[in-house]
Amino acid sequence: MPYHEFEVSKCIPERKMHAVVKGPGEDLTDALPKGYLNTIPGTISERGCAYCGAKHVIGTPMKDVIHLSHGPVGCTYDTWQTKRYISDNNNFQLKYTFASDVKEKHIVFGAEKLLKQNILEAFDAFPDIKRMTIYQTCATALIGDDIGAIAEEVMTERPEVDIFVCNSPGFGGPSQSGGHHKINIAWLNQKVGTVEPEITSDYVINYVGEYNIQGDQEVMLDYFKRMGIQVLSTFTGNGTYDSLRGMHRAHLNVLECARSAEYICDELRARYGIPRLDIDGFGHKALGDSLRKIGLFFGIEDRAEAIIAEETARWKPELDWYKERLQGKKVCLWPGGSKLWHWAHAIQEEMGVKVVSVYTKFGHQGDMEKGVSRCGEGALAIDDPNELENQEALLTLKPDVIFTGKRPGEVAKKMRVPYLNAHAYHNGPYKGFEGWVRFARDIYNAVYSPMHQLSAIDISKDDYAIDKGFVTRRMLSDATLSEEAKASPITGYTGPFDPISGLRGKTYPVFERRAATEAAE
Amino acid sequence: MNCEVKVKDRIGTINPIFTCQPAGAQYASIGIKDCIGIVHGGQGCVMFVRLLISQHLKESFEIASSSVHEDGAVFGALDRVETAVDVLLSRYPHVKVVPIISTCSTEVIGDDIDGLITKLEEGLLAEKFADREVHLLPIHTPSFVGSMVSGYDVAVRDFVKKFAKKGEPNGKINLITGWVNPGDVKELKHLLAEMGIDATVLFEIESFDSPLMPDGKAVSHGSTTVEDLQATGSAIHTFALNRYEGAKAAQFLEKKFKVPSTIGPTPIGIRNTDALLKKLSAVTGKPIPESLVRERGIALDAIADVAHMFLADKKVAIYGNPDLVIGLAEFCLDLEMRPKLLLLGDDNSGYVDDARIKALQDNVDYPMEIVTNADFWDLEDRLKNKGLELDLILGHSKGRFVSIDYNIPMVRVGFPTYDRAGIFRNPVVGYAGATWLAEQMANALFNDMEVKKNKEWLLNVW
Repeated sequence: MPYHEFEVSKCIPERKMHAVVKGPGEDLTDALPKGYLNTIPGTISERGCAYCGAKHVIGTPMKDVIHLSHGPVGCTYDTWQTKRYISDNNNFQLKYTFASDVKEKHIVFGAEKLLKQNILEAFDAFPDIKRMTIYQTCATALIGDDIGAIAEEVMTERPEVDIFVCNSPGFGGPSQSGGHHKINIAWLNQKVGTVEPEITSDYVINYVGEYNIQGDQEVMLDYFKRMGIQVLSTFTGNGTYDSLRGMHRAHLNVLECARSAEYICDELRARYGIPRLDIDGFGHKALGDSLRKIGLFFGIEDRAEAIIAEETARWKPELDWYKERLQGKKVCLWPGGSKLWHWAHAIQEEMGVKVVSVYTKFGHQGDMEKGVSRCGEGALAIDDPNELENQEALLTLKPDVIFTGKRPGEVAKKMRVPYLNAHAYHNGPYKGFEGWVRFARDIYNAVYSPMHQLSAIDISKDDYAIDKGFVTRRMLSDATLSEEAKASPITGYTGPFDPISGLRGKTYPVFERRAATEAAE
Repeated sequence: MNCEVKVKDRIGTINPIFTCQPAGAQYASIGIKDCIGIVHGGQGCVMFVRLLISQHLKESFEIASSSVHEDGAVFGALDRVETAVDVLLSRYPHVKVVPIISTCSTEVIGDDIDGLITKLEEGLLAEKFADREVHLLPIHTPSFVGSMVSGYDVAVRDFVKKFAKKGEPNGKINLITGWVNPGDVKELKHLLAEMGIDATVLFEIESFDSPLMPDGKAVSHGSTTVEDLQATGSAIHTFALNRYEGAKAAQFLEKKFKVPSTIGPTPIGIRNTDALLKKLSAVTGKPIPESLVRERGIALDAIADVAHMFLADKKVAIYGNPDLVIGLAEFCLDLEMRPKLLLLGDDNSGYVDDARIKALQDNVDYPMEIVTNADFWDLEDRLKNKGLELDLILGHSKGRFVSIDYNIPMVRVGFPTYDRAGIFRNPVVGYAGATWLAEQMANALFNDMEVKKNKEWLLNVW
């Protein structure tokens, strides 16, 4: 029987169906945990709410927008400055957040008037910004404010502004995933098709489910632009509001995070006939294959191959240097949703680590299907993990490193398991050929931290040599390597602290349009 | 009058200074030993607050959610609390105290958590957990009332109200610290120890600066026990250091158990620390020892090095929790600085009657503004559009971009301070806090002089 029962969860038997160990010779039909069910109250689950799934995960990375939450101030404050979705417009969306500041009297008498005044005030404070998103919260959903009507009223009075409304209160679904769904569909229904974009290439895509964490989107856009592809919009990292209104004109939707953004892709396919192509920006092989697939779709494989060859030559040796030193290191891969399958196979194959556990906070069974199939035998898969189960898993599995969120990372630290931030990254970006080496570098730095080694020592008991004034990571990681490996001229990652700023303002080759070529012939 | 107190002249909030009431109740709850709160509402109300506090302390701790989903919002969600209490107690055998902390959603739908607690006490606790010491209490913290500050105040009162008993006078004082850091609690306990005063400290959070141990078993937790809380009813006196974070509990103890109380002073700066020690001495009859006279001297010696040469006349804006902001402003004035703008991030109508604010109004001889219900736009708009000039900002990390974008040095104080290492470890209260603050401010200005090449040569000799 593949289900894994945690000792700490014996008193809540329904949890048993939420964790599996992938046994020898077993496949998905033997081992698939339940997913996306209502949370069991009081378990100390790590899940967030549907408001944050809509506003914080998907809405706010849009960069040229006033993001206003209609409710008491806490929802806004709490989801402000807790992520690293940067932008190339001086991070407006990171710096500014807006709350309608609903108080008791508004709960009693309604907050629509308050909302309208808020909208006007916010536009007045930032006269250069003409776009706004408004997010419902628990309180204003329950009092039944008609946010859409107020937005329409303002748009009529001020024709130069445009407002998007997302009704996704915190209680709307088992986790943040409910909010992902709601904002996908709301955006499609309200905004897609309301702007006609200018088409400048024969190859036009929307890049969907990409949030520009530490610059991921800008790294990927660099490849697309080098291939002569026009990226009509990014949903939503570093994306502009108006570009996302023109999504209907793309030839292809290139989908990165299928957990949070497959809904809009599927609907764009149904309504506008735009095909969906799922890709992985993480991992040299997966990324190469992704660029090849896009190239194949448009008949420009050669452009993809050129980039893959150039980037691989530059970064693969450094990646391999880390792979040699991370062989067999045990990893708990505990992200929110899609990274469990984006990363599981890629880190095992390309960094040599062994994924001993995956979990997902808000993923669905489909995510677990992908994740479990990409793990090796013996891996423990957990849906909607809770605090005690995590601790039990860490004690049992004894991983060398864990990729998870900030707060669970603090739990791991105390248990002497170094942590990397799976959501916001440590020193990202992690996408792209270079980014993947940065990820390997961060893992290596965590695993071989001399401080981590010191923290294992009980100076009152252990008889340990005090003959060294220092220890370097190399002294720890290379101890058992072959002389040949030790003699490698490479010493790890050689890129800069900030690989993103240099991409901004970069010029790209101009490819002749097919129509023009055909006309000339 | 040079100092005006005004309410923010906009209705909405651009970049809030405070979060909402449940966050304050949650911060209070982690100060109690064997306590795990259940926040009754959507999951984000816990998940993000835990993230926020863990960013601040760089530690983890436990708070649970009743995980209200759609059906609960429509049909009532008390069954979610029932399950949460059962599951929590079943899986955490050490837990004794479970506050049920309400939020906006569950206050709007009108869930009767008080009634539910009675039901659980007579049912679940009596039947399933009969041999356990378990205390349930309701804490009503609707997010649309007050702010995290009042949420903390309400929670401290409700914890005291739940547990305080009149017993034999125990000769102890109650020290209600207000919303402070582990470093502050350590300093306050140090002052009490030097004075030889036995005190019940609400809340003992100094172990949130917890170690990384070879066995991997260290856990961060509050250390104030149920017995400590019970003993508050038998104390000789209550000192609530912060008017807006703990005074409600002091007033309750005074009314119910005739424990006399002193509200304030927030012991920030030399003068306020002096006042606290004098009052402690008066109540307990214990003299201020030579050791503290000496500590005070060390602080003054350090401060004298930086005050009139470097800090004097520097214009400063201060935002954050009200007692902290007022205490810092008072100290800055003692340091010859010029607090120009104080931002208090909620609409508490009591601020205008605060004697400390009135004293500022009576005595400040330069233009100074105090804005209530303030947000960060009240600061940024003044810098960007209204000609406010500042040398320094004092406040928490959420205002970091004002400092960064307007090139104004900033000293991190208050909550949260996640963007600087180790702030929570240092006190702002007591003599040690005064030294730390003055030196942090001076170093921030020194660094700024060097970055901007603004008389950077000045420190060639000092």
